[in-house]
Amino acid sequence: MIELQNVSKIYPNGVRALNDVSLSIPAGDFVFLVGPSGAGKSTFLRILFREEIPTEGKVMVDGKDIVGMPDGRVPYLRRNLGIVLQDFQLLKRRTVAENVAFGLRVIGAPENVINARVQETLETVGLSHKRRMFPDELSGGEQQRVCVARAVVNNPLILITDEPTGNLDPMISLEIMQLFLDINARGTTVIMATHNHHLVNKLRKRVIALVEGRLIKDEPGGTYAYE
Amino acid sequence: MGFDSLVFFCSEALTNLRRAGVMTFVTVSTIAVALLLMGTFLLATMNMEFFLDRLQEEAMVTAFLVPGTASDRVSALKLQVTGFEEVSDVTVVTPEAAARELFTDPADQNLLQIGLGEGNNPLPYTIRMKVRSAADLPGLLAKLKAMPQVESVGYGEEAFRQFQGLSQLLWIGSVLVIILLGLSSLFIVYNTVRLTLFMRREEVVIMKLVGATNWFIRWPFIIEGFIHGLLGAALALVLLLFGAPFIMARLAALVPFFTFDLAAAHLFKLSIKLCLMGIVLGISGSLLSLRDLNAFGREM
Ligand SMILES: Nc1ncnc2c1ncn2[C@@H]1O[C@H](COP(=O)(O)OP(=O)(O)OP(=O)(O)O)[C@@H](O)[C@H]1O
Ligand SMILES: [Mg+2]
Repeated sequence: MIELQNVSKIYPNGVRALNDVSLSIPAGDFVFLVGPSGAGKSTFLRILFREEIPTEGKVMVDGKDIVGMPDGRVPYLRRNLGIVLQDFQLLKRRTVAENVAFGLRVIGAPENVINARVQETLETVGLSHKRRMFPDELSGGEQQRVCVARAVVNNPLILITDEPTGNLDPMISLEIMQLFLDINARGTTVIMATHNHHLVNKLRKRVIALVEGRLIKDEPGGTYAYE
Repeated sequence: MGFDSLVFFCSEALTNLRRAGVMTFVTVSTIAVALLLMGTFLLATMNMEFFLDRLQEEAMVTAFLVPGTASDRVSALKLQVTGFEEVSDVTVVTPEAAARELFTDPADQNLLQIGLGEGNNPLPYTIRMKVRSAADLPGLLAKLKAMPQVESVGYGEEAFRQFQGLSQLLWIGSVLVIILLGLSSLFIVYNTVRLTLFMRREEVVIMKLVGATNWFIRWPFIIEGFIHGLLGAALALVLLLFGAPFIMARLAALVPFFTFDLAAAHLFKLSIKLCLMGIVLGISGSLLSLRDLNAFGREM
């Protein structure tokens, strides 16, 4: 599903955020991406959804070379990806249902399909009773669940998430985590960057550790430790 | 684009226009002011053209015949000229009539009695005619000159050239003014749309994250630009139509010999032109602001 060969990223300011990273993630995998602050985790994820272009190396996502991909193809790549970031990126002036619907609107889905899928997805994340509320009326955990709903509303192949529990308390984090596990159980590949060692150590999934842009550990059923 | 998407784009555009409030007002009034000025120029130019056309059509062409042409030859020639498609109102002026015309002043009348009696009138027969359309004039002149009985041909050549020069100048002037006004209002529209884009950057970033194409992001803005342009044109037209008599009076005072005319068909054409210009302005302002969407949100 995802292939990286000798990928390096040097930002225009000279910072080397990734250094010769090679790895492969098969379909259906659940991967934790760990490492100290500034290790290059967010950079790695942004390369996967083509927000950044690597300086060197090759990146294949779903069989497509995304480095040489023309800008015009990027939207179609992203329609196969679900993206959840740390700060809840919700539109404050739209209801929960409208926020989730956004993922389908963009691909030109007809209104009846949108309504059905939004309802279904909101039920999955347990928020269908709050579909008419606005983001400000929800708790942090609920807002993050709306983001997850929006990310998965069009059944993505891969879910990419960068510290989705960073701002949430442990109980709520666990709920969000359960959501990702459910999504993964239905076949979606999940890649999650996190600092939450409790979750990583508890769940024993594949762990990839980056330090100073280098891949220093890639261990199935691994733990959080990266030294 | 599916029907549901179109509905979505339109409702987005309307919501955004409402939310942008002051920005919408600034954009619409900028377009309106620019169009008002453009409209005034267009109105003046259209009138000038209209006036010139009429002037040219009313211009008399006079063919001076070779002196001593017999009167029956003259009648034959008159028939021939009347047969030309491009002329109307053909009249023959006899030497006597020409002399009388020449000396209209009563004080000069006695000159007629003294020198220009029967037989020694040096004036030739002339045939006068009107051109149906100014465009036919050069062809007609050539045709007349080619006739052996025609010694020379005269028409209001000088005045004609001057008016044509004036008209060209006016056209060049108004095209320049329109381009300048267009560019400066485009600049203002561009910047206000840029601001509204900045206010909506979160939305744009999210749209891009979920896989919206650049055109998907642009459509609501384009519809907004369209509405901006249409509203601006409507505003300009209302002002122009109310202000037109006043503007006309001013112009008439400026150029005294002008007859200004505001035919309904005239105004209708002008309205269409202004609406089109408004729409072009509004949409190109939007498109210009949304050129570099690929780089948008990179700083996320
Ligand atoms: N847009 C950018 N321009 C320049 N340098 C950047 C940019 N983004 C990140 N960096 C630098 O690249 C390095 C890796 O950053 P990155 O955000 O990938 O780290 P991270 O592992 O996600 O850290 P954290 O755990 O704090 O989120 C850092 O040194 C950072 O300063
Ligand atoms: Mg990060």
